[in-house]
Amino acid sequence: MKRPEKSLAFTFNGVRIEAIEGQTIAAALLASEINVLRKTRLKNEPRSIFCGIGICWDCVVTVNGVTNQRSCLIEVVEGMVVSS
Amino acid sequence: MIAIVGAGPAGLSAAVAAAKLGQQVILIDSSPRLGGQYWRHLPSNWGVGRPPYFAKAQELFDEVLSNPLITRFSNAHVWQAEKKAEQFNLYVVRNGVEEIVKAEKVILATGAYDRALPFPGWDLPGVMTAGAAQSMLKSHGVLVGKKFVIAGTGPFLLPVATGLAAAGAEVVGLYEANNPLRWILNLHGLILNPSKIREGIYFLKKLRSLGIKVHYGKEIQSAVSDGVLVDGKKIECDTVAIGSGFVPELSLAGILGAKLKVGADGTVVVDVDQNQQTSIPGLYAAGESTGIGGSSLAVLEGEIAGSTRKGKRLARWRAQVFATGLQRVYPVSNKWQSALTPQTILCRCEEVSLADIHGAIDELGAQDGRSAKLFTRAGMGLCQGRVCGRNVSEIVACHLSRDLTAEERINTAQRPLAAPISLGELGDGLEKNF
Amino acid sequence: MTSQNNFDAIVIGAGIVGATTSLALTKAGLRVLVLDRGPVAGGTTGAGEGNILVSDKEPGPELELALMSRDLWFELGDDVGDSFELEAKGGVVVSRGDDTALRDFAKRQQSAGVNAQLVDGNELRKLEPHLAPGMNSGAFYPQDSQCQPMLAAAQILKRVRERGGIVKTGTMVTKFVIVSNRVKGVETSEGIFNAPTIVNAAGTWAGEISKLAGSFLPIAPRKGFILVTAPMPQIINHKVYDSDYVANVASGEADLQTSTVVEGTRSGTILIGASRERVGFDGSMNIDVLRRLAAQATSLFPILRDVQLLRAYRGFRPYAPDHLPVIGEDSLIAGLWHSAGHEGAGIGLAPGSARLLTEQITGRSSFMDASPFSPRRFQGGSA
Ligand SMILES: Cc1cc2nc3c(=O)[nH]c(=O)nc-3n(C[C@H](O)[C@H](O)[C@H](O)COP(=O)(O)OP(=O)(O)OC[C@H]3O[C@@H](n4cnc5c(N)ncnc54)[C@H](O)[C@@H]3O)c2cc1C
Ligand SMILES: Cc1cc2nc3c(=O)[nH]c(=O)nc-3n(C[C@H](O)[C@H](O)[C@H](O)COP(=O)(O)OP(=O)(O)OC[C@H]3O[C@@H](n4cnc5c(N)ncnc54)[C@H](O)[C@@H]3O)c2cc1C
Repeated sequence: MKRPEKSLAFTFNGVRIEAIEGQTIAAALLASEINVLRKTRLKNEPRSIFCGIGICWDCVVTVNGVTNQRSCLIEVVEGMVVSS
Repeated sequence: MIAIVGAGPAGLSAAVAAAKLGQQVILIDSSPRLGGQYWRHLPSNWGVGRPPYFAKAQELFDEVLSNPLITRFSNAHVWQAEKKAEQFNLYVVRNGVEEIVKAEKVILATGAYDRALPFPGWDLPGVMTAGAAQSMLKSHGVLVGKKFVIAGTGPFLLPVATGLAAAGAEVVGLYEANNPLRWILNLHGLILNPSKIREGIYFLKKLRSLGIKVHYGKEIQSAVSDGVLVDGKKIECDTVAIGSGFVPELSLAGILGAKLKVGADGTVVVDVDQNQQTSIPGLYAAGESTGIGGSSLAVLEGEIAGSTRKGKRLARWRAQVFATGLQRVYPVSNKWQSALTPQTILCRCEEVSLADIHGAIDELGAQDGRSAKLFTRAGMGLCQGRVCGRNVSEIVACHLSRDLTAEERINTAQRPLAAPISLGELGDGLEKNF
Repeated sequence: MTSQNNFDAIVIGAGIVGATTSLALTKAGLRVLVLDRGPVAGGTTGAGEGNILVSDKEPGPELELALMSRDLWFELGDDVGDSFELEAKGGVVVSRGDDTALRDFAKRQQSAGVNAQLVDGNELRKLEPHLAPGMNSGAFYPQDSQCQPMLAAAQILKRVRERGGIVKTGTMVTKFVIVSNRVKGVETSEGIFNAPTIVNAAGTWAGEISKLAGSFLPIAPRKGFILVTAPMPQIINHKVYDSDYVANVASGEADLQTSTVVEGTRSGTILIGASRERVGFDGSMNIDVLRRLAAQATSLFPILRDVQLLRAYRGFRPYAPDHLPVIGEDSLIAGLWHSAGHEGAGIGLAPGSARLLTEQITGRSSFMDASPFSPRRFQGGSA
């Protein structure tokens, strides 16, 4: 598969991550081998993507200060600040 | 004006059929791209080869994008709907801003999502639905693991397994809970649909050439961080892709008051007539929301809903016979519950375990899914029970040694909001004079 | 007729009122049967919020009941164990403009025994740092509390069973057995049960139960919506509401009223309630109501603008024409007792109502004058 250039960058928990235009936050993180997207509220268990299509809300992150955003739906925008 | 919700195979073909009759169409979908759950594809700059179904998909994409009668709303979530004086109002949050779409006719083509059955360890990172693994690959070119186990039931696992392997993943096994030999008892479904036989043979060959071993009648018992347990034996892998059929997305149908019904396998679907019209005049439904039957049936239903033409009814009937066969050959029995331990999380959002649900029944007097939810918060979290609702109500019924009623099943498929909306947007609606 | 179908008292309704009443009766030594056509807390108790408020009540019999009830909640908490999220969270009432009404109201409550503390803008912001600017006056009510009402009803009924009572869910009362204007028992979908004392705790459906018994109670539904947000870290510390909420609560007008109470819950979600409409049992979604609630909540707390609404649900409050609960013996049918019509305060008032009714049933002297709550006020006859 011929991959286009990673032309975008954002930060996840302070770390710079590169992404291909059109990729969702979750896709870019998984492509960078970051599997744990957050810890659960009650038992502090690690979670990753689960349904991949916006149904299960397991992959939620904080995007530019807004909490509970589904990282599998939101496409990366240059300079985005994302955290668990 | 016709408003269509969902731009998968059903919504796309409905839009094209309606526009061909000269009608104005608004096609609304929550994702940025056309295609829905299955007709996903990488942007053309990836220069990848197209899958076999692509001809039909491309034809519909081209028509939707070029026909001036069709307006596209992407990144647009219909969160609420109502019918007032022969007119439908759809409330849509598009790119974060709420607007209203008014239409005399609405076609719901909201599709379905994978049904995931819980087992110990299903909440670990690395365990995901087959649809998740597939959509990461097909829409983003991301292989989410190196070494996969695929498990669950149904023919939809085949394209997932072969797709991952073809993209370079190692698929160490496909565990199919049922046995496709059951098709022998449902031969008419195949005979009426020779293309499905060809598809089956295609996938069997592909599995063999990719070296994927299929184990029939087998289920995963549990998952740990580096593998799964099947029949007491550990199979090493880093990723598990699971799917046991599909759950239709019915929120909007329920909000608009359309009659829902329970299929032979317990799946709740929208009840439609010959023209795909629901019990609400002017409200139509097509695709997986009316029953799980694959993309070719979804396309036919979309065409009928969009044009109310009679020509396609025979073809639809044939595809429906196949869909009924699917339900019979790949049923989900209550056997999955035997894998659960008291600690197994059932509601992933609110982290409610099997022991919590049993406690709600035995000690607090919960009698159904709703009261189990009120006492434990199972289904009250972010996903609003989309993942756990059906599983929890089946567990409650099983624990009380009874069957689920149709009404209970229909309740688990309904939710008052079809998508979330921010409080700010919601309140601002007061000034917009919708 | 077997003795296992004979009880000292039958309570109809396994909502919060039926639950607390059956525990009080059990503790008074009666053998109690609780009947509900649905599951535990499947009625209005499972469709409301769990505010235990004194702050919203005018001095008078309801406030007196509320003050007793609030203390009894904490006794119940000790008895049943902290298993239903009981918390003395405190209420904050804010005023946006002229605060004369709020101040007068708080002063009158103070003389009725309520702990009401007038606060200025600085103190308000210390209590609730995220309040919108421009709110310069308010009142703090440390007694205001909350619980999770479904769990409370279930845990209290569990205690009733532990003490020998019987709880039968899925059992619909269809008929009364009445001999010379005195109750003897009820017929249900699961058979006949006998008792000389029957308590109608059927909430919004208490009027129908009275009718079954050949009597009459004017209890009607008043619809309310509540918004539920996605869970988030705690940003709101108390139950916070606008001073015009109280005017709404006491109003009898049918058309829509919304005035917001915003509160965080232990689970992290924020609840925003509630609207009041008299539209019978029409359960349909009213999008405009949701918008008004959201607009009011975000005008109190602008930080909520980005928070996602996950769900909205509705319930039907049981209300009587004079907005007071009905607690006492029927004036037409002997042995039939009512505790119903608690409108938007049934959770808060439940333990107090249970005590008041139990004292009357067992012939003990009451902690307060029960006559304002007597069913006789609607049934002709003197209190
Ligand atoms: C893993 C997997 C493998 C599959 N393999 C095959 C296969 O090999 N062969 C086959 O024939 N079929 C396959 N399918 C099935 C295929 O997905 C369906 O047959 C087809 O997608 C159904 O089309 P649809 O138009 O009904 O719905 P979908 O394609 O699901 O489209 C529904 C659309 O509606 C949108 N939507 C829903 N609610 C709202 C709302 N409130 N507001 C806005 N938009 C909304 C969704 O975002 C979605 O884009 C597979 C499915 C999966 C998940
Ligand atoms: C939106 C909203 C918000 C609210 N917020 C608050 C709040 O914050 N604080 C507060 O104190 N109160 C609040 N309330 C009010 C409170 O919920 C009610 O006053 C209270 O739940 C009434 O309890 P109940 O036990 O009388 O009735 P219910 O809980 O309705 O119980 C009555 C029971 O009787 C049963 N029943 C009826 N008919 C029969 C029959 N024929 N046979 C057998 N069983 C029968 C029903 O199934 C039901 O379970 C709110 C209400 C609403 C709607």
